[in-house]
Amino acid sequence: MYKDFEGKTKKEALDLASEELGIATDNLDVEVLESSKGIFKRGLVKVRVYFDNAVATVDKLDTADKFEDELIGFLKNLAEKMGYNADAYISAREDGKINIGIDTEYSNILIGKNGKNLDAIQLLVNVFSSKLGRKDLKVIVDIEHYRKRREEKIVDVAIKAAKSVRKTRGTRLLEYMNPFERRIVHTTLNNEKDIETVSEGEGVYKQVRVLYKG
Amino acid sequence: MEKELVEYVAKSLVDNPEAVEVHVIEGEKSTILELRVAADDIGKVIGKQGRIAKAIRTVLNAASTKSGKRVVLEILD
Repeated sequence: MYKDFEGKTKKEALDLASEELGIATDNLDVEVLESSKGIFKRGLVKVRVYFDNAVATVDKLDTADKFEDELIGFLKNLAEKMGYNADAYISAREDGKINIGIDTEYSNILIGKNGKNLDAIQLLVNVFSSKLGRKDLKVIVDIEHYRKRREEKIVDVAIKAAKSVRKTRGTRLLEYMNPFERRIVHTTLNNEKDIETVSEGEGVYKQVRVLYKG
Repeated sequence: MEKELVEYVAKSLVDNPEAVEVHVIEGEKSTILELRVAADDIGKVIGKQGRIAKAIRTVLNAASTKSGKRVVLEILD
């Protein structure tokens, strides 16, 4: 399968494709169709992106019991009371984990800056789930593959920061991240023997400092 | 509306939903929501280090970006 995307630059077109398909830009299978660059005006770049159906679509599973019905109901109601209509569905079940996807035209606002709103929604669903007696279960809420995209972005940021401090022999402070995201930075750079990573700050959201130690 | 949102979340998380009360104080630029729950349930809406209260406030702010009015949530005991 393929889909065409347009942007002012190739990068813009690829970002658009990455966003819509939930695949990191580096992993896209791309063919540039048109690239009309005049001297006085910048033309549009059109790219065709090939993808597997399986990657681009999310599983929508039926709820299996009353507990799952209640979780889905809670998420739908929560979104509706916030003023943003959304559909929610079970997307995967793993050991000790349940994944719930949200479909909505308001994905930007329900995700929020750096996933802040999505994290808050996920926390509330988890509290609700423990109240129903399922303390053993972790509920993961996702919108349009945001978590996967974010994870890939953080790995990218970590590697870039490591390169930069290696060059400058200095340190670099990354943006505020939640514990899960900070762990990605630490594990990504764990094998780089000349680089050290330290969390700084208080509370749930801290910053990671990337240091060159030689 | 914001009042229903706070009411819904609080009622979903506490053991005594009938005791949940939200009182709205409308100001010119901001709205204050006062949330009252049964004494035993206070911890359920605040959480460890205020994590739940913070999540409710975050969700509330996301909801109120539509109206553009600032909403403040106070949890009374």
